[in-house]
Parts: sequence; C-alpha cells; structure tokens
Amino acid sequence: MQLTVNIVVLASIYALIACGYVLIYRVSRVLNLAHGELMMLGAYLLLATANSFSGNPAVAIAVAVALSLTVGVMVYVFLMRKMTGEMVLAAVLTTVALGILLRGVMVLIWSAQQQYPGQALGFSNPAIALPGGGRISTFAAILVLMTALTYAALFVFLRFGTWGVRMRAAGQNPLLAAQRGINLHAVYALAWGLSTLTGSIAGMLIALDSGLTNTMVIIGLKAFPAALVGGLDSLVGALAGALIIAAAEVLSIQYIDPLLSDVVPFLVLIAMLVVRPWGLFGTREELDRV
Amino acid sequence: MRPSIIIAAALAAGLTGSAHAQDAYVVGITAALTGPPASTYAPAMEALRIYIDGVNARGGINGKKVNLVIADDSAEPSKAAANAKKLLTQDNAALLINASLSSTYAPVVAEAKNAGVPLLFASSVCPREVYPPANEGQFCTTAFASTYDSRAALAFVKDTAKDTVKIGFSAMAIPLSRGEMEFAAKQAPLLGMVALPVEVIPPPTADYTPFATKLKDGGANWVFSWAPWVTQVRTFEALRRLDWKGDFITWAHLEAEGELKRIKDGKFFVIGANALFEDNLPIHKEIIEANKKAGSKYPPEQMTEGWIAGMVIEAALKGAGWPATPAKIQASMSNLKVDLKGLRGGPIEWTKDNHFRTKQFYRVYKWDGSKIVVAKDWYSYDVK
Repeated sequence: MQLTVNIVVLASIYALIACGYVLIYRVSRVLNLAHGELMMLGAYLLLATANSFSGNPAVAIAVAVALSLTVGVMVYVFLMRKMTGEMVLAAVLTTVALGILLRGVMVLIWSAQQQYPGQALGFSNPAIALPGGGRISTFAAILVLMTALTYAALFVFLRFGTWGVRMRAAGQNPLLAAQRGINLHAVYALAWGLSTLTGSIAGMLIALDSGLTNTMVIIGLKAFPAALVGGLDSLVGALAGALIIAAAEVLSIQYIDPLLSDVVPFLVLIAMLVVRPWGLFGTREELDRV
Repeated sequence: MRPSIIIAAALAAGLTGSAHAQDAYVVGITAALTGPPASTYAPAMEALRIYIDGVNARGGINGKKVNLVIADDSAEPSKAAANAKKLLTQDNAALLINASLSSTYAPVVAEAKNAGVPLLFASSVCPREVYPPANEGQFCTTAFASTYDSRAALAFVKDTAKDTVKIGFSAMAIPLSRGEMEFAAKQAPLLGMVALPVEVIPPPTADYTPFATKLKDGGANWVFSWAPWVTQVRTFEALRRLDWKGDFITWAHLEAEGELKRIKDGKFFVIGANALFEDNLPIHKEIIEANKKAGSKYPPEQMTEGWIAGMVIEAALKGAGWPATPAKIQASMSNLKVDLKGLRGGPIEWTKDNHFRTKQFYRVYKWDGSKIVVAKDWYSYDVK
C-alpha cells in the first residue's frame, strides 16, 4: 500500500509541474525552461507572504497565488511578447536566460538557506493513516487533491471555457485564430499566467510539505521527462507520463537501487523517444513542427 | 548569500589591488556564496568577514590590517579556478581559502601550489592531504572529518542502544557522502550491528518517502546519515511520517541547532565537533554580539565554522609577523596551536605532518522535551 501511495504522491508532483510545460508549449510551441525557477519563485512568494501575513494564513496563500499568476503574465508581457514572430529557439533561449536571472535574484533576496513556509504560517504537517496501512503527510494529500482539481479544472476550461477554446484555437492555428479576432497576446499571456500558477502551486505545496531550498529548481526539471513521455501538447499525456515516470522511479528505489531513481526517468524517456517520439498522447504533427 | 557579503566582495574586488598588498595582509577567498550548496558556506564566510572586521577594528594583526578578498565561485570548478588565479596574481593574496564543494579543490590546489601560497579549507570538507602525513601547503579547520565521524557516531549508537542494532544508512549521491556511509556500513558489523545497504539519495529529490519506505521496510531501528543537511533532515522527517519509531543520528551541520528546536524529537541525535550555542559560553555571547552589531541576517549559531577559521587565520598571521610572505605564513601554520575557547572540545593544533588537528573531539546533542541537551559529552580520537 505504501508503495502505491508513494507512486501517487510523486506522480502528482510531476503532473502538477508538467502541466505548466504543456500549457505553454501547446499554445505557443515554446519550451519554457524557466518553469522550475518560476515554480520555486512561487514557493518563495509564499514564504514572503507567510512572513508578512503570519497571523492570517489564508490571506498569505491567496496573495502568493495571485502574485504567482501575475508574475506569469508579467513574464509574457515584458519578456516573451518580444519574442513573438522570432524563431522558437530564440524564445527557448530567452527562458533559459530568465531562469538564470531568477535563480540569482532568489538567492540574493531569500538566501540559500533551508526555509519553512509552513512553520511561518503556523501549519503542522501530521501524517494521515490510510486504509491498507499506508501513510501520507497532510500536505502530500493536499497536493494529490490539488493535482486532481487542477487537471479537472483545466479540462473543463479548455473544452468549455471561452478563453479555453481560444487557447486551443491559437495553439492549433495562430494565423487563423488571429484572423477570427482572437487576441493572441492575451491568450499567450493567459497561458503563461496559468502555467506559472500551476507550477507555483506545486512549489508551494512541496515547500509546505518538506521545506524550501534553492535546489527546488531541479525538481522542476525532473518533471520535464513526464511531459515529454506523455506528449508535450497533451494534458492527458502529462498525467500519464507523470504516473509512468513516478512508478518507474519509486519501483527502482524499492526493488533495484535507489541511485537509479535519478536515471530511470531519462531511460524511460529515451525508450519513448525511440518507440514513439511524439509521446504517448502527443500528436505526430506537433513533433514535425519541432 | 546576503547583500552585505556581495557588497563586501564587490568592494574588496574593486578596491583591493597589489598596492594594498604591501601594507596589509591579503587573504583571498573563493567560496560558494551562491549555487545549490551555498547554505553551508555563505554563513561561514559571513562569520569570517565579521571576525576579521573585528580584528581590523582592534588595530589589525602586528599593526597591519587584514584585507579579505572574497570571490564567489557558485561551487563551479571553472569559476573557482579563475578566482584562485585572480586572487593570487592580481590581488597578491598571501593566503588562499577555499570554502566550496570538493569538486573545486583540484584547480584551486593547483593554482595555490604554483604560486607557493598556503591553502586553507574552511567550512569545506578537509581533503585527505591535510591528514598525516600532510601536504606542506594545505590546511583545514572544518569540523567534519571523514571516517572519524562515522567511528564516533557508531560508537555513540553502540553505547546508547539497548537492543540489537539494525542500522540503516542514508547518503546523498555525492562521492564524499556515499564513501563515508559505505565506510560506516563496513564498520557497523565490527561493532556487533546489523548493517542495511546504504540508501544513496540523488540531490535533490521531490519526495523522500520512497527512500524512507525502503529504510523502514528493511527493519532499521537506527539510521545514520552523513550528508548535506537537506538529505539528513528530510530522510528523518519522511521516516517519522511513516510512523517509524527508531533513533536517528546525523551530522551537526550549521543548521543543526535551529533544526533541533524545530523538530523537537527526542530520538533525533546530532553529532558534531562544534559546541552548540545552547552551551552559552562567553565566546558564544561574543559571536552573538558581533553578529548583531554587523546586522547579519544569518543566525549566530551558524557562524561557528567561520569564527574558528577567523581565529586560526589571526593566529597564523600573527605568527608570520610582518612583512608576511606566503612562505612565512605557511611556516607559521605548520606549527600552530589555537585555543578555541570552548567552541570545540580542544584546540586546533597543526604540526609539520598534521594539518587537520591532532585530536578530533565529538559531542552528541538531542532535544529533551523543552531544550537541547548534551546526549554524550566530549570524547576524542587521536588523528594519526
């Protein structure tokens, strides 16, 4: 039972992070390699608001979430918008530069020390006993629920929401979408905002569960294989990819060698690239564009 | 890294030149002030800066000021090499300090050796070359010591455990941590313990529970971890979340004192060579006062390593006299005894053949309901 819990928790972490990669790629074909940094920034924003509103955790969390969304939109408005019409590679390299900048700024502001936003908010993190003998920490359970909610909300939004349909249209054919009167810049800004928001929620929950250091950024990168295995333009794929990668990682820890857990995601990725380069649920057409 | 260190580094880099070298002791530092492991090194370097500022305020050493030239290497070997070259050739450092990951050692050692300048490892792990028979140009003040730490930790476990010990080991996937835990896993059976395979955990990991699950499933009633703090503490907390009831012993890094107070678990032991501030020694009060005066954002209890480095540098430069050449400083360091005023169990004593210390002292602390207490008082090992 504990193995199942471990797989579900890790899959939820990867899935929540991976959907940020998918949202931006699906809409604008840009690989956001600063996603890990933006995720970590969300966690640090929670730390900042926790210190400012320590007596009111709900306000602290709400402000941190709102700031994360704003940061994502701002990144597009002030940086990525300039990349519109440029080569995709230029946009990707811009995200790399953004990541380096963010990492430096975060260390300058919050130092490299281990921090505990949960402690600042007065939260405890007791373990919950599950039927079958498994145990899960409170924030890990919240993370699992939040991942389910996020994906459900995104499916509804993209299928039935006006802006969701516009996002899909912009992703499928930006020229036609623009000719139909869709404001592409608004759509892209929204995608960046939502992507940063989901990543930040993952960062905040990881930080609340086990603390926050500047190494969190690498966890963001570890979720990247999940998005690729599932197919970069598919949210269902991100979910499936996260589950596969998490299962491979947890089972290798338990039955083979813990050290392999670092390598296994990339072995799975290589196998997928050989067998089905566009990922489990990705489309061949999207790959051709890459 | 704190802005104060950055400003100090920038000012030092900008203002310190060869002209300065003629009327002050120039000490060059390459340190991981940013980058993933910065939490280990930045507070120590902040402490060293505060200590040397105090020395300068009291009139310096032998009537001369000490200029610390601090360069950030982000724990990257290429940056460390460039820093070392610049510190030695442009700043004319007479003593070089490395406070960074072991991967930066080779290029820094090479530069120091070429320049004939002594190299001090402060807050970074002591390399093999400082133990007897020591390399003539390398010295170390850092508390932790591979193999000795494991021997001391396992001795404590043996003394403390009431039942048969089945011990698990948690390492980070870096050579030093892994090597130490593999050494401990070999030592444990010699002390009558059942040793489980070493859990090597990649840095960083999103969730430590799968690793903890394996340790728990292995039936460990003790776990020993010697790794960067994040691996140590997250493994422990993941074990507790799994309702593991065993005892955990781990290395007392800079963060240990604050973390003991946060975790509040009577079976979480930290073993280290530095006295915690809970002892409230006069020198602790001195550090707290200096820390407050400097406006440092790092807590004083994270400053012991840097403070000790400062005390040793002061003694070494004093012994070298003025004008100080690298050769004179090296000679002074090769015959040095520094009373650490209780910050450790004994002095730092360097001889021609031993640039680590002649005795390595250990103390074990734990949380006891309402405060930190000593679980085992100072005990020592001869370093041969």
